[in-house]
Amino acid sequence: MGKFKEGGPLPDPLPETAQPILVALGSEARTLRLVHTGFRMAREQGCPWVAVHVAVPGWETAVEADQARVWLQEAEEMGAGTAWVKAATVCDGLIEEGGRCGASQVVMGADRPRGPWDRLEHSRAQEALRRSLGVRIVTVPLDPPLPRAAAARSGADLLGLVLAVGVILGMCSVFAAALAVVAGFPGIPPVFALGVGYIAHRWGRAFSAPATAAALALYGLLFVPALPLRPGDWSNGLYLAATLVVAQMVVLLVDRLAQETRSLHRREAETMLLTVLGRALGRCATAREVAAVLAERALGLFQAQAWLMVPGPDDTWLHLPEVPEAPPCPRPSELLPRFGGAFHRDDPFEPLFLDSCSFVALAGQGGSEGLLGLRLEEGRPMLQESWGLFQSLAVQGALALERVRWLEEAHQARLDTESERLRNTLLGAVSHDLRTPLAAIQGAATSLLLPDPLPEATRLDLLAMIRDESERLARLLGDLLELTRLQSGGITAQKEWQLLDEVVGSALQRLEARSGPLPIQVDLPQDLPLVPLDGALMEQVLINLLGNALRHAPLSPVQLRAWEEPGSVQLEIADRGPGIPAEFHQRVFHKFFRMQRDRKDGGVGLGLAICGAIVDIHGGAIWVEDRPGGGARFRISLPLDGVPPSPPEIDTQPMTLETLP
Amino acid sequence: MTQPLILIIEDEASLRRFLVPTLANHDYQVLTAATGSDGLAMARSHNPDIILLDLGLPDLDGGEVLRSLRQWSRKPILVISARAQEKEKVQALDLGADDYLTKPFGAEELLARIRVALRHATQAVADLPVLQCGGLRLDLERREVSMDGNPVRLTPLEYRLLEALAQRAGKVATHAQLLNEVWGPVGEGQTHYLRIYMGTLRRKIEPDATRPRYLLTEPSIGYRLNVE
Repeated sequence: MGKFKEGGPLPDPLPETAQPILVALGSEARTLRLVHTGFRMAREQGCPWVAVHVAVPGWETAVEADQARVWLQEAEEMGAGTAWVKAATVCDGLIEEGGRCGASQVVMGADRPRGPWDRLEHSRAQEALRRSLGVRIVTVPLDPPLPRAAAARSGADLLGLVLAVGVILGMCSVFAAALAVVAGFPGIPPVFALGVGYIAHRWGRAFSAPATAAALALYGLLFVPALPLRPGDWSNGLYLAATLVVAQMVVLLVDRLAQETRSLHRREAETMLLTVLGRALGRCATAREVAAVLAERALGLFQAQAWLMVPGPDDTWLHLPEVPEAPPCPRPSELLPRFGGAFHRDDPFEPLFLDSCSFVALAGQGGSEGLLGLRLEEGRPMLQESWGLFQSLAVQGALALERVRWLEEAHQARLDTESERLRNTLLGAVSHDLRTPLAAIQGAATSLLLPDPLPEATRLDLLAMIRDESERLARLLGDLLELTRLQSGGITAQKEWQLLDEVVGSALQRLEARSGPLPIQVDLPQDLPLVPLDGALMEQVLINLLGNALRHAPLSPVQLRAWEEPGSVQLEIADRGPGIPAEFHQRVFHKFFRMQRDRKDGGVGLGLAICGAIVDIHGGAIWVEDRPGGGARFRISLPLDGVPPSPPEIDTQPMTLETLP
Repeated sequence: MTQPLILIIEDEASLRRFLVPTLANHDYQVLTAATGSDGLAMARSHNPDIILLDLGLPDLDGGEVLRSLRQWSRKPILVISARAQEKEKVQALDLGADDYLTKPFGAEELLARIRVALRHATQAVADLPVLQCGGLRLDLERREVSMDGNPVRLTPLEYRLLEALAQRAGKVATHAQLLNEVWGPVGEGQTHYLRIYMGTLRRKIEPDATRPRYLLTEPSIGYRLNVE
């Protein structure tokens, strides 16, 4: 049975005297009540408490699991130890965790049982827990989040109801008769009043009037003839009527109380929804994620499909998430003004109905962020109370969207500032490095143009200087452009499956074209896999690294090795130069960073920054280590993601004249 | 033989100033045009032996100039372009340009490319059944390959790849051209086919596969069989 801890302090080192309270958390919104109960009980009893979520494979969606984590986190913030247990049934999981932490009590939520089977099932599970752990079980009733729809009863329901009313009144009659006969108690009317009151409370006031009539009729039929009828006896009937009226009044008051309780529950549910929603939305970084959270919540709350519509390019709607059969909707420029007046009013909630869909504006502080659409299934109208929830959803969604937009704007602003800063640094750092070769070129050219003829050797020397310095200028400019484009996100790696041999080969080709053969030892295994990389960019990385190594260790060979590791290919370029002090291992990859000893060698400190940026857009890593025995060792790790393409048709037979096409 | 006539279509005056005397000094006749339309007109009136075409012209897209030239002329065309214009280069080569030069370039490189292009223009490959460069000897008629006198055993695909490169000896061959010639339509876009076979070919031909002398890589563009 797999098990792992979800963050936070483990409940292991508990004081031995206090046995913890184990609180079983679910994933639905009402779970918050369990968290509060656990917290309160632990406070009252002065013992630790452990919140546990039992994940039953196949019974929970990823979103529900996420939600359960949120509750565990909430419990943790309230001082609970937390545990996440995977088990075949909730009961098994609780037994396991309860045994592990030595719980004395188990707190669990219970829905009101829907029927005798539920009741039996619940008690059986509790019994199993009690037996195997020897603990006290505390159940916390979790009321449904919304009152069930009272309207729209089907015919079968109605028949059952009439039967139930009949049975109750019948029982009242029998009881009243028994009282009258056995005890000679004449209080028949209060018994009926009790029955009618119960009916009214149980099924609503609408049923109390027919029930009253039925009670009167029963009374007249069953009891009036049985009593000695005297002229003054009508007072008995009056007594019944008065009692029934009082019962009605009581029912009215009770009903009002019940309504208030219901609305309290609803408000609680709303508060919980907002807590959950706020947390979920707070984690969203894009409009798409906001939309996913809203859709998920709407599905849970209203069993209805919800989606977000934001104005896209060309005056079209962008649906998030994609809605397969979105109703044809007027264009944003047409539709949004219809909500227009509502945006800055206190109550922006004015749904618009199109086909079977309802739309509300997501009105943020700065105007409308878009629309929230909701498609209700046919024959499942939304309750009046649910509109309130829908509104909460829309308001929270609008706030989240606004936050996301601000985040993006802030990010953009940061980028702009950063690139401005980069430009300034660049200009400052580069102007000197640009001027030096230019001064040399200018000087050499003007001397060559002087009327007095120069000795042939000097002339050639000056010309070679012009060539070298202009090459240096070209390299510097190329590097600058490359780095700027890389860091502004203007270059993406055009990854293709490549043989490392070829990339290394063309890097050597370019290096040696400048200077002739170089002391570079290459060791590439023949069975190295194809690597997804951008050949031109990676060649640049190799040229920079090899160039550096050769410059710092001109007397000993530079070694280039590569090998495969699970999921990646590793490259290593090692030299026997002076090495890089450990405190600079990170900073050498920063732009314009040069160590004191390199100030004179004509570089500007861009080469390694370029390498870092290129490896970065490949999703790889680059770092430098001390080479055992002296020198520096640069390492590159390139991910082998995706499936390498299968080699083309097998072609290993040596050629003969016949096999040729 | 008369001096070959070179037409330079290049809008930058400083580059023309460097090209004209350099080429004239090496026994070429030189004509220059600063715009694409001028260049097209001069190409029609003078029928040059080789054209140097800059891809970044002010009036016409380099590809357009190339297309109109190729409608009537089979003469070699060398395109000149800036670094990081790989796409344009490949497009130009696939449209029928013979080779390319990347700015900035040196005089030696320029003269070498012009020599190769003119040699190809005057001698069809069929006239050269045997190609000898360095130790590599390729007998196209007998389909035999040898290195320093030792026969090299190639698979049919490796041979076809080498043959395709030899057809353009000294000039660049783009990925698309090689794939099409060796694999036909199925090879389209399958650049890794080429890479794999180029790898095996190099191991058989090159003394040091990571320092190729004959089968050079032109990054992002293609390959070149080096004949220098």
